[in-house]
Amino acid sequence: MQCREFREIADSYLGNELIVETNHEVISHLEHCAECRRELAARRELRCQLREASIKAPGNQMSAEFGQRLSARLHEQAFGRSVTPLSRRGWHPSVTLRRTSWIALAACLTLAATFGLVALRQWILRPSPQQGGQEVANSETPNYPAQLNPGVPVTIVKTELAKDAAGDHRDCAVHFRLAEKPIDLEVAGRKYDPVYVNLTKAVVSGQGEVPLGAEFVEAHSCVFQGRRFAHIILRYHGRLVSFLVTEIGDSNAAKTNAALASKGAQVIECSQFDGYQVSCFQTARHAVFIVSDLPEGENLALARAVAPSVFAHITRSENPA
Amino acid sequence: MFGIAATRESQVTVEKQWAAFEAEAMPHATSLFRIALWLTRDQTEAEDLVQETLTEALASFHRFARGTNCRAWLVSIMYHRHSKRRKATTRLHLVSDAEERIAETIAFEAPTPQNVTDEEVLGALERLPPAFQEVVILADVEEMSYKEIAAAIDVPMGTVMSRISRGRRLLRSELASYARAHGFGQSGQQRLSRVSEESIREC
Repeated sequence: MQCREFREIADSYLGNELIVETNHEVISHLEHCAECRRELAARRELRCQLREASIKAPGNQMSAEFGQRLSARLHEQAFGRSVTPLSRRGWHPSVTLRRTSWIALAACLTLAATFGLVALRQWILRPSPQQGGQEVANSETPNYPAQLNPGVPVTIVKTELAKDAAGDHRDCAVHFRLAEKPIDLEVAGRKYDPVYVNLTKAVVSGQGEVPLGAEFVEAHSCVFQGRRFAHIILRYHGRLVSFLVTEIGDSNAAKTNAALASKGAQVIECSQFDGYQVSCFQTARHAVFIVSDLPEGENLALARAVAPSVFAHITRSENPA
Repeated sequence: MFGIAATRESQVTVEKQWAAFEAEAMPHATSLFRIALWLTRDQTEAEDLVQETLTEALASFHRFARGTNCRAWLVSIMYHRHSKRRKATTRLHLVSDAEERIAETIAFEAPTPQNVTDEEVLGALERLPPAFQEVVILADVEEMSYKEIAAAIDVPMGTVMSRISRGRRLLRSELASYARAHGFGQSGQQRLSRVSEESIREC
């Protein structure tokens, strides 16, 4: 090894980034080259000085006050969202419901004593107007209920599309590790699918009525497992929520959804993949997914909140005439 | 009663999760702040960036692979957050030929100067073009590996290695100039043209 070569790789040697064979060559060179030994020592010293000076520099110190504030806030975030996650919004959190389940039981017994078990059972199991696997977003549904509507069944579906949506949320919104770089949503709209154009408005503003506390993070178009999605990311109480729209090619599904679309109904289906909640509804040619690690009821509530405006927007784009 | 048991179970899970986060992620807050300060050059913005980073990390902590380098994971989140913030506020971007132009301006490898002060070392670091400065900080101050840096700043490892090598060379040249101007350090050092940040054009 020549001195010039040594100087090229001396820093990598100090950082222990060289392969074993090259390390041996470096050591062998150092054994008989005093000038390179001095150079190596000087670089090592400079490196130590740089690190220590940077760490000790008064301007680089994090204030104790900020450290305490940060810790307190994160602690609050960790416990606030899981123990009493929804109390600020005046909802009935599921934890509280579970905690007071004995009260509910007592109430049921009282009712049973008053009206009779049979009558009560019939009343509870009475089919709701929307029952039968279809759930229609309507004005009676609050924009942002915490709990599932009682009496409305949720169809559990497992489709490859929903898996892809959960995967895209994980790899794009959470870990930022998609192989292909996302592109601007409006550009993608002009290039790939006109439905993407102004989709953000339908989700975030206008008739979308994004629930209080949801903050817009980003909108783009990305590709997961070869499938292109419009991807709108919101942050809700510190959790990332993905709204994903993709074109579907299933002709049977298209027929079904066209029929539903004519009735103005949105069937919202819920499933769970890889720890993420996925709520989905479809139009004639597109599937819309709402993916997050929120509880199922909250994820579904978000889907309900945006379904009318997103459904209307996509349907308009699918049928421009 | 089942409800109460479930609540306790949930509480225990949250407490465990928080304890793990506190043990693995929180000790890196100081290091994150230092990096944030280099990135933003502003105390308040650095605090905001650290807070955003840790908030996001906490929300995703159940997906952090235990046993892997937590600081590298946090730094990658921080760079992503910073990149988003920067995109939202500016249209600056690096010109692709900047590195080659910078490399060409260094005539030869100067011997590493000695007896320079901490202030001068930090001053030389501050004067490096940002693309070189960030990798030198991550490698030499924060002691991250090339691989971790590549993942954090989302550039190929070859680019990281090239930037680190040139960044360190620029740093030494800068200090060699200082040492010669003040009459100490090793003899025969040649004043090298420092590449100003203008070589990275802003569009």
